[in-house]
Amino acid sequence: MQTLSLMDKNNNRLFIHKEMENVTLEHSVEIILTPQFYTFIREELDVKFTYQAKQIAASLFDDYLDNTIDYQYHVNKCNDKWCFFAYNIEEIDQFLESKGIEKYRVSKIYFAQQLNEEVKEPISLSENNVLQTIDGIVTIIPTRLMEENAYFKPMNLSELKLNSGITMGASLDSFISLKETIILSSLFILLGTTFVVEGNRIKSSLFTENQKLTELLDENPKYTSSMLRKSVLDKYAPIDKIEREKRQSLKEISKLLSSKSQLQSLNIQKDNIVASIQTSDSTISKQVVTHSKAKNFKSTNNGLVVKVEKKL
Amino acid sequence: MNIMTLQRYKNELILLLTILFALFAFLYKLSANTDVQENQLIIQNQVAEINTISNLKEQWSSKKITNKVNSLKSIMPTLKVKTFNKKSKKLIASYVDLTANELNTVTNKLINIPVQIVTLDINKNAKNQYTLEFTCKW
Repeated sequence: MQTLSLMDKNNNRLFIHKEMENVTLEHSVEIILTPQFYTFIREELDVKFTYQAKQIAASLFDDYLDNTIDYQYHVNKCNDKWCFFAYNIEEIDQFLESKGIEKYRVSKIYFAQQLNEEVKEPISLSENNVLQTIDGIVTIIPTRLMEENAYFKPMNLSELKLNSGITMGASLDSFISLKETIILSSLFILLGTTFVVEGNRIKSSLFTENQKLTELLDENPKYTSSMLRKSVLDKYAPIDKIEREKRQSLKEISKLLSSKSQLQSLNIQKDNIVASIQTSDSTISKQVVTHSKAKNFKSTNNGLVVKVEKKL
Repeated sequence: MNIMTLQRYKNELILLLTILFALFAFLYKLSANTDVQENQLIIQNQVAEINTISNLKEQWSSKKITNKVNSLKSIMPTLKVKTFNKKSKKLIASYVDLTANELNTVTNKLINIPVQIVTLDINKNAKNQYTLEFTCKW
């Protein structure tokens, strides 16, 4: 009788069964659970997606499993049916530790059921057990039940194509489902990207303003200094203000003049403008006074002569 | 924290990272906003200040003013221009026997030239004519 090596040539894959020997690992391994560590159901269901199948997994195993134990479930599509696996990760974890396999060394977990084609002919797991597919289900059979000269197929685990493996971490329940994670993460990424784009747009508006300032400073390099700007402004701003006032006052005085109110004299000194207007009668005189006061002139009338004055 | 714990909370970690990304992006947007608001005002003020200075200087100390001032002499007959002393950037001028219209012409011309009117004196004589004296600089 030929006994199958526990590990493949590269020591990357390992069958996990209760009679396995202790192992010492220096690198990560992928483990293949034998039926001793999982319960398997194959069902034909009218569901389209794996996550939908996973939602009903627990109810499928209701009659087969101990309710007091916390099981994890794995589902994958096998041909036209759904394959459901129930396993207890803590039990597996404890067993692996007892055999010297630290859990962080386990990179992937596979189920022996996935080898149902490969173990149509029996393979030997240990002296007492063989692994064989019976009615499409991979089963552990005591060696004593096998024929005396039974042929055990040699198997190189590293050559096997295994899909739908799970990780130790992923087999433990996460607070947030993958679907929720994808939806929420996409939303936050979208939101974050919008903020970044918006932030860049805001910053670019400052760039335009800066460019305008740079162009102005290039045209007037001497105005780069704020001291100089202030000095020039201090010189010209009062001139602008007072000269505009002088001109405005002259225009306002000219509006007070007519054929019945004629200018006698007008004098502009440093900060004062004074005009004397000769009116034809007292009514005109009063009108001139009223109009000049409306324009903020200080006015006095002496007979028919109205004197208007304004401090600049 | 070992690899298994990381794997177990993979979803939460991914979500946490994306939340952090959104949060930092939001803070980036806020800081960009504050930064722009502060600097934009400063820059706008500087631009306005430079424009104002340029305009003021161009207006009140333009080299063209000297030529414009000469027109104050040419618009009146020589007989009526009693004095027209232009030295450097200062003008002392006096006019006599101006009619009301002529007075208007000269004063309108004067106020439309960007010079500083230092003094201006208008008086009406007995013949209903005006004398005008002014000093201006630029």
